[in-house]
Amino acid sequence: MPDHDDLMIARITRELKQPVLIDPSFDTRVMAQLRDDRAPRMSPWQWLVRPRSIQLSPLGGLGVAGALAATILLAVSLRDARPAVAPPMGEMPASATAPASAGQVALAQAPTAIVQTVQFVLRAPRATTVTLVGDFNDWDTASTPLQRAAGDMWTVTIPLTAGRYTYTFVVDGKRWVADPSAPRAPADDFGQASSVVTVGGSAS
Amino acid sequence: MEGLRGMEVSDAVVVQRVLAGDGDAYALLVGRYRDRYARFAMHMLGNRDDAEEALQDAFVRGYRSLARCEEPEKFGPWLMQILINRCRTAGGRRLRRDRTFVHDEAAIASAATGHPGDQRAWREEILRALEQLDPLQREAFLLKHVEDLSYEEMAELTGVGVSALKMRVKRACDRLRELLQEVFSA
Repeated sequence: MPDHDDLMIARITRELKQPVLIDPSFDTRVMAQLRDDRAPRMSPWQWLVRPRSIQLSPLGGLGVAGALAATILLAVSLRDARPAVAPPMGEMPASATAPASAGQVALAQAPTAIVQTVQFVLRAPRATTVTLVGDFNDWDTASTPLQRAAGDMWTVTIPLTAGRYTYTFVVDGKRWVADPSAPRAPADDFGQASSVVTVGGSAS
Repeated sequence: MEGLRGMEVSDAVVVQRVLAGDGDAYALLVGRYRDRYARFAMHMLGNRDDAEEALQDAFVRGYRSLARCEEPEKFGPWLMQILINRCRTAGGRRLRRDRTFVHDEAAIASAATGHPGDQRAWREEILRALEQLDPLQREAFLLKHVEDLSYEEMAELTGVGVSALKMRVKRACDRLRELLQEVFSA
């Protein structure tokens, strides 16, 4: 027989499980907000790496082992595409010998105190594309591409209002690279490592 | 969307449909998870405006990031993970703004079923007690006892270890008992 304490928690739980009423137009509002969005699509890479259940014969296992070895080699070849020190605004690095573990962003004061331009820089010598995603662009991998600059550097400068932002880089559309020198975001919405930048110094 | 209307289709099928370009199909997922997740957000944040904003934000982020949902058949837990984080962000923002946690009248009166006097008073007491919990304890309590998740599922969603979650739930229960003892005995 449940004791008094358990009965109390059960009664609390029963009450909290009651459905709640929300604005009847909620669905319409959500879909209206999405109406102007490009429909999200799966990239060929995401389709390729989507987890699947497979059954393998011993011979098939050998094939998979070979493919795994090739993947590891590819990963090793990509290993040096790490973020590097960001140059000050408008100043490109003289060489690719900057410390490879010190990726960061550079801030520059904009004409008004409301918006600042923020430069994001990543050293990725073998990358074909690099994009910036964060809560300032709704994690859209297409909206903020970095341009290849001098040396192995990729860079983009965007206007941001004062605040605290979470961001990360996407290399070749598939590899998510958090900025190793910036503070890590404590809880990423999607389970990916990401970094934090504070603009304007007023955000907590 | 037309092809899916009225059909019992899995989340995975709907997700694939949206990713194939049928954005309107996402409305099925909104309708499927709206009520249950609205309840969680309302209890976490204590007022309807903040809860609806957090929920809408979660749905929008979910849509825009749908290609990153690696297991479409687990769209619901994936969306809940986003909602938990939106509620944490909204809760922190409101704490900085208000320094107080206020259940508005809409939240108290939000139960879809009518409540006669005593039951309404009991609901109000529960909501007030809930708002006095530490937010992480409140979150753990709601996930465990209201959403009926296992500790393993909670750990996956929150990134917190099972033992820490058990401790949070236990402390939440102890605190609720303490706060509601008098009302419950009356």
